[in-house]
Amino acid sequence: MQATPHPSTHAAGKPALDFTWPVEGIARAPYRLFTDPEIYRLEQERIFRGRCWNYLCLDVEIPKAGDYRTTVIGETPVIVTRDHDGKIHAMVNRCAHKGALVCLKKQDNVASLTCVYHAWNYELDGKLKGVAFRNGVRGQGGMPSDFDVAKHRLQPIRIENFCGIIFGTFSEEVEGVESYLGPDMAQFIKRNLDRPLRVLGTHSQTIHNNWKLYAENLRDSYHATLLHTFYTTFKVNRLDMDGGIILSDEKWHHLSFARRAKMEEAAEYSEAKVHSASYDSALEGPGLLEAWEEFDDGITHSIQTVFPNMCIQFTLNSLAIRFFAPKGVDKTELFWIYLGYDRDTEQQSQMRIMQSNLTGAAGLVSLEDGCINEFVQRGTRNDPQCSSFMEMGGRVAESEKNSRATEAAVRGFWQGYRGIMGF
Amino acid sequence: MPSVIEKPAAQSSGDPCREAAELIASYGHAMDDGEIDLWPQFFTSNGIYHITTRENHEAGLPIGIMRCVGRGMMIDRVKAFHTANIFEPHTYNHIVGYPTMSYDKASGCVTARSNFQVVRIMETGRMELYATGKYLDVIQQEGGSLKFRERVVVMDSRNVDILLVVPL
Ligand code: FES
Ligand SMILES: [Fe+2]
Repeated sequence: MQATPHPSTHAAGKPALDFTWPVEGIARAPYRLFTDPEIYRLEQERIFRGRCWNYLCLDVEIPKAGDYRTTVIGETPVIVTRDHDGKIHAMVNRCAHKGALVCLKKQDNVASLTCVYHAWNYELDGKLKGVAFRNGVRGQGGMPSDFDVAKHRLQPIRIENFCGIIFGTFSEEVEGVESYLGPDMAQFIKRNLDRPLRVLGTHSQTIHNNWKLYAENLRDSYHATLLHTFYTTFKVNRLDMDGGIILSDEKWHHLSFARRAKMEEAAEYSEAKVHSASYDSALEGPGLLEAWEEFDDGITHSIQTVFPNMCIQFTLNSLAIRFFAPKGVDKTELFWIYLGYDRDTEQQSQMRIMQSNLTGAAGLVSLEDGCINEFVQRGTRNDPQCSSFMEMGGRVAESEKNSRATEAAVRGFWQGYRGIMGF
Repeated sequence: MPSVIEKPAAQSSGDPCREAAELIASYGHAMDDGEIDLWPQFFTSNGIYHITTRENHEAGLPIGIMRCVGRGMMIDRVKAFHTANIFEPHTYNHIVGYPTMSYDKASGCVTARSNFQVVRIMETGRMELYATGKYLDVIQQEGGSLKFRERVVVMDSRNVDILLVVPL
């Protein structure tokens, strides 16, 4: 196994920046990657406009005809709509006239899309319907006679709905979402999301670091029990066996999981499957960790990333999507979308609600991630020529089914990143 | 491990709304003075503290940013603040507007709404507006003093800068 895989051919032919990756390969990441505006600009082009599927929103967020939602792909503003036939469309949120934003709200329900500037009006699929004063006013002015509405529209974005997640891409070449994810990743997303979903709440967090530091952080299973000490402080007896890490074929998506010991399930808690995961702890308010075994595979905690900037967490019964949008070289907005299933009982919903305390901007288990990446940003910004050192668990990016004390998934991120960036 | 000090019962003035307004003011002062250990004592033993965003609140969505049901969970938050959670040291300054209140004689509860702005001060000297919003409170007597039976903190913004570890 090679320690320094060659960058794949994704970015072949693209001019390389004056930038060379250290010879140690993916076990190093030069700090320049987190501060260089030119690299940031190239990422917008090669990743967010490149051969990637980007998280846009959830099907359940635009349930009715005429619903729209705005989001971003990289820093490009995007609209996702549902038309009168129930079909979903995505397009760049940029008027075909002079480029103004067409949709301003996070979400709304409309008959058609109208730009406020000069009132150009679009169908829900982005086709131009009409232009104000096209024939002029009282015979004066108006568009030239050869003006053709069919030649102008909102720039369409290719989409796919996978398990209720709407993905979008600017690329015509990228394979379908399911093969982009690969079999292991696709199967686990189906496990978590392939049934009617319900949004239980959302918020966002501004983190003052490059988006890739958060992408690394999500894949960094090494830090989990070292930085985040909530479970150990409160002596939470999780009875979780050590889990493992699975990487996708290109290594850039990952799944990290912890599995619960099988015998517990069989002997003590087989009956109602409710409260079956009640964890021994020194908590004054143990209701926080009331949980139930939701799946037969024994996996109690999982974090799954989809390159470039999406993550699905299942922490006990707390299911959430995290989406982190770059807002400049040293700023990222991290969105939390907490979910349940339509089929959940009231009691199950209550458990998901209480467990939401574990993550998010005020998450008992993970709030440190709001500042830790900023600490790296601040620690490294004056030394772009230096690099991080990531050899925990080896120097390559391979799945590790029996241990999470590894940086394999972080190296996997860099392997995929180098490929698509041509670095 | 830090202990949670019992807050002495306030002197009763006999005017429930005035006492409720004092409770609201002294809560902000305690948080700004770094008296986070007192925080659980501002609530009834089964009190609810919930931080959410305006967007969630108006959509009736149950998950916000923080939710404690019962004083036990608040004590756990305080303990986590002291011994588990890691963050850059900072303090708050609350500016809380005078509440609108109504007193329900039958239940003995005061329902109050007040607006707040919170400035966060980092150790580096950086000061910035951290949160604005409204407190929606249900206040009642317990153990001889007024406490929050429910305090819903509705932040105007969907966004939290960096993280939230000290209650608003
Ligand atoms: S910019 Fe949209 S109508 Fe002119
Ligand atoms: Fe973390």
